[in-house]
Amino acid sequence: MRHEPERTDAAREALLDEWLVVRCQLGEQAAFDALIERWHQPLWRYLHRLLGDSDAAAETLQDAWLRVLRALPRLRDPTRLRPWLFTIARRAAIDRLRGKYAEPVLTPIEDLDPVGPDEPAEADPDIEVLQEELKKMPLIEREALVLFYLEELSLEQLAEVLAVPVGTAKSRLFRARKMLRRQLTDKGVER
Amino acid sequence: MRERAEELDAPRVSAADMRRALATELSLGVRIGHTLLLLTSLSVATVTALLLATEPVLPPRTQVALGVSTAIGLSWTGFALWVLTKRRVLFASHRIVAARMAVAFSALFTVGALLVGPWGEPGWYGAVGVGLVMLGAAIGLLLAARRRFQELSALRVDLERELGRQGGSR
Repeated sequence: MRHEPERTDAAREALLDEWLVVRCQLGEQAAFDALIERWHQPLWRYLHRLLGDSDAAAETLQDAWLRVLRALPRLRDPTRLRPWLFTIARRAAIDRLRGKYAEPVLTPIEDLDPVGPDEPAEADPDIEVLQEELKKMPLIEREALVLFYLEELSLEQLAEVLAVPVGTAKSRLFRARKMLRRQLTDKGVER
Repeated sequence: MRERAEELDAPRVSAADMRRALATELSLGVRIGHTLLLLTSLSVATVTALLLATEPVLPPRTQVALGVSTAIGLSWTGFALWVLTKRRVLFASHRIVAARMAVAFSALFTVGALLVGPWGEPGWYGAVGVGLVMLGAAIGLLLAARRRFQELSALRVDLERELGRQGGSR
């Protein structure tokens, strides 16, 4: 499911992000355009899967971008752009959900076997089935899977976005994988 | 598989549409407008407050009028400050423009107070003093804005050099 990018590519991507942030902070219009072009789809993917509804995701995405533009001058460490963007998108989504439901209750940390990014990934099941099964998952587990496997955040970045310790993020990820695996098995999807 | 995933993940609103939707949010004109509003309302509120505080004999109706004008000026100042810090925030280059405007406004205010004010009277000293404080603050803001701009520009050059070393920007 998760493909680790080459270290040099990841470093270069991080450098490009940092460069874009600095240009945005200087006030360059072209840099804002490039930033939106570069991060629009990853944020959409995250919000779409998190909220499970295109209309809600589109509105939340616009709200998230507004928040990003307004907070950009205060981003002190441009190297943190990736987790920072997802944190803002998450807050926008939570604010939206708060209007409809009570804030999602965090399930307690379970004493589970740790899962690491090096653990062998499973073969991809049919993507549409996967999308459907993701939609059925509780919000908290779903977002951990989306951020870690689809948006390729590191465990540390995942913990930062979810505002939890790294150990909790690990447990949540493990629980989510187990849940998804069970759902797929029930569905008869071969792994 | 990847193509199907991309199709399912295609944003409902394209990046280009989002850029257009956010264009006003990034407009320099709106920022300049609010900076002008801030400086004008602050200047008006300062002048009316000074008149109210230093004019020895004013009819009650005039006092009320000056008091209301001061309150209105301060309200607009607060509103413009809120917009510039929370909504249409100022980026480094915008801060330089805004600070230059502040220097020009406060210099104009000080010169006006020097030339037009009641020379040698307490009100004159008060007006000139306030003008000088405003001018000092505006110069401080300008220096800070320039320093921040220079820091970011230097960082940008370093990053471009590093990116160039890694094979040119994409």
